[in-house]
Amino acid sequence: MKNKIILFWTIVLIAITCTIVIFKKPTTLGLDLVGGSRLTLEAQTSSTIKKITPEIMDSLQYAIENRVNALGVGETTVQKIGDKRLMIEIPNISDTAKAKEFLGETAELEFKRPKGVTQEGDIIWESTGLTGKDLKKALVGSAPGSGEWIVSIEFNQEGAKKFAHLTRDLVGQQMAIFFNGELKSAPRVNEEITGGHAQITGGDGGFEYQEVKNMVDLLNAGALPVGANIIEENSVGPTLGADSIQKSKVAGAIGLALVMIFMIVYYRAPGVISCIALLIYSIIVFAIFKIIPVTLTLAGIAGFILSIGMAVDANILIFERTKEELRSGRSLFTAINSGFERAFTSIFDSNMTTIITCAILYALGTGVVKGFALTLAIGVLVSMFSAITVTKNFMHLVFGTGELKHPALFGLRAEDIQDAYSATETKKEKAKFGVLD
Amino acid sequence: MANPNLIKSSYLIDVVKHRWHYLLISIVILIPCILAMFYLMFTQPNHSPVKLGIDFTGGTILQYGVNNSVTPEQISKIRTELENNGVNNPIIQNISNSSADKNIKNIISIKTRFMGEKNNNQIDKITMVLAQNTQAPQLISTTSVGPTLGKELLKNSLAALLLAFLGIVIYISFRFQADYAIIALAALFHDALFVVGVFAILGILYNVQVDSLFITAILTVVGFSVHDTIVVFDRIRENNRFLAKKYTSGEIINASVNQTLARSLNTSLTTLLTLSALYFFGGSTTKDFILAMILGIIAGTYSSIFFASVLLAWDKEIKAKKANA
Repeated sequence: MKNKIILFWTIVLIAITCTIVIFKKPTTLGLDLVGGSRLTLEAQTSSTIKKITPEIMDSLQYAIENRVNALGVGETTVQKIGDKRLMIEIPNISDTAKAKEFLGETAELEFKRPKGVTQEGDIIWESTGLTGKDLKKALVGSAPGSGEWIVSIEFNQEGAKKFAHLTRDLVGQQMAIFFNGELKSAPRVNEEITGGHAQITGGDGGFEYQEVKNMVDLLNAGALPVGANIIEENSVGPTLGADSIQKSKVAGAIGLALVMIFMIVYYRAPGVISCIALLIYSIIVFAIFKIIPVTLTLAGIAGFILSIGMAVDANILIFERTKEELRSGRSLFTAINSGFERAFTSIFDSNMTTIITCAILYALGTGVVKGFALTLAIGVLVSMFSAITVTKNFMHLVFGTGELKHPALFGLRAEDIQDAYSATETKKEKAKFGVLD
Repeated sequence: MANPNLIKSSYLIDVVKHRWHYLLISIVILIPCILAMFYLMFTQPNHSPVKLGIDFTGGTILQYGVNNSVTPEQISKIRTELENNGVNNPIIQNISNSSADKNIKNIISIKTRFMGEKNNNQIDKITMVLAQNTQAPQLISTTSVGPTLGKELLKNSLAALLLAFLGIVIYISFRFQADYAIIALAALFHDALFVVGVFAILGILYNVQVDSLFITAILTVVGFSVHDTIVVFDRIRENNRFLAKKYTSGEIINASVNQTLARSLNTSLTTLLTLSALYFFGGSTTKDFILAMILGIIAGTYSSIFFASVLLAWDKEIKAKKANA
């Protein structure tokens, strides 16, 4: 009996700790609940880069991280998936037009020199080898005098040398600045420029502020080592997310309440015990979600609510078995003990198959499916603990004193109970299970 | 130790005597399911037995919340205007919405071909068309899947299904016997076939499409179905250990099925209670997912009692006859 009381207080302690964890730690909610965007980028091979190596992926990730950070929208994450994909998560925005524009751009800055003239009189430009790679940094600036927005660039050592060389060659001629293959401006070079500083002005029309800002951000973030295409997008507005949370809460509460009512009506006293066990189960599972932390998505919540159904299953198996043993005339203690012992193999084997499917889903699934598998697996594992430890302990404490033994407490009628078919067996069983009396 | 008093001479459910009745019910229900799947396999260009959503085919779905009710005439007007604006074959659906947000009375879902980063002005055009035809449209969700990714996802999902089947069969052969495993697998196919079939029928009738969550639902159903079957098998295994000398396997299986009947029904009932709560009160995005699980759990309960046990009793009967002959 003493052990049972120690166990009882341990359970209470666990429940209290878990409750504190639930209140102290924030819940990690998925983008489908808080609103936000998830984009998947795939690196593209090209004529120059035939194979995507891990090094290329590292620098792609770095460049993308820089760009996403330049958006200035807070907690964004960029992570690698497989060998050629990146997943970008941007919370709290659902309009990804700007983000996508940003991610797709390659940010190639190129300085070119005239090579000849076409028949129509347009200048043909040729590459000079001076590109965005030679930059140290770019800044938004305004031209003295006109006040026009300009991109002010600073070359690194190598770049400064190249630039000085180029300007010396081109004195009196035009030089062109291309950004992403588009001619941005073609200033006339008046003299050799040393010192490694240059400015890009917007030509005739001038630049809009936003255009300059985008160019500067892209230049500073660096060019992408390879092209990258968006192959998947998932965006959810914050209102839809809030709505989903609200609905899931209501559904979860109603589901739990219905199950509890059913358990109490059908199983009576043990039903009440299972409800308390179920509450403790929910608290533990939720606390584990917060500790790991599991990112809760809509599918994840569905997995959790489903696991409530499975947690109840373990209790049902035990109580049915206990009732059956009582009907056949076993004493209360023997019935409870053998109810647990006999139901255990069913609970174990049946839950193992669920764990197997969860493991496979987790290994092979993508985001949404993974979340579901993880929450269901945690739920199933905790439910085994809750049924075998919590429910059993409470049953022992409540019925262990021997005061409560009326058949109605188990939803049975007195005439249902048969005579014990073997008194000696009952005694032996009692001894075997170390029954409390 | 099993209680010999529990073996009775007659039972509510008799898996030996009514064998054919029970199997007939399964067959009658599964035939339309299989026909619907075949129909879709022959009529659809991708030969899939269900209608596949953009998760698997690639495509873009935009959802707009609007402040007014939308008539079918308005929807067809929106469709024509979208086509005039270069949006090819849009599929437009109107979902009524009971949300806390008073500005969203209806959700209009527009499905098009995959739009990558280069097609931003298409989204602008769609938003413009909607702004002209509805009140205060706001883009509340975008889902876009590239065509190659879709194919890959489908391949992975089918691989997951096969692996799950294999894992379960190995586990049951290990814990029980090979014939139990094969019968559990048959029961599991029975349930999966039912769910997929119903979605094929829904696809034909209401153009319901399946997404990657559907595969998850099927896998969960598979897990549940085996879960149910194992509880019955576990009881058969236990009863066999103590009573095999006195009773025929048919009698033992009958007793086991009836002893676990209350548990089977109650477990399914509680799980269905939670799922129904999710179906009626949960978010609209997971509705089909929940429906698939509800169907699967009903099928799983039926199959564990009336399909797996019937087959097992039959199998044991044939083996007993062979042994005696």
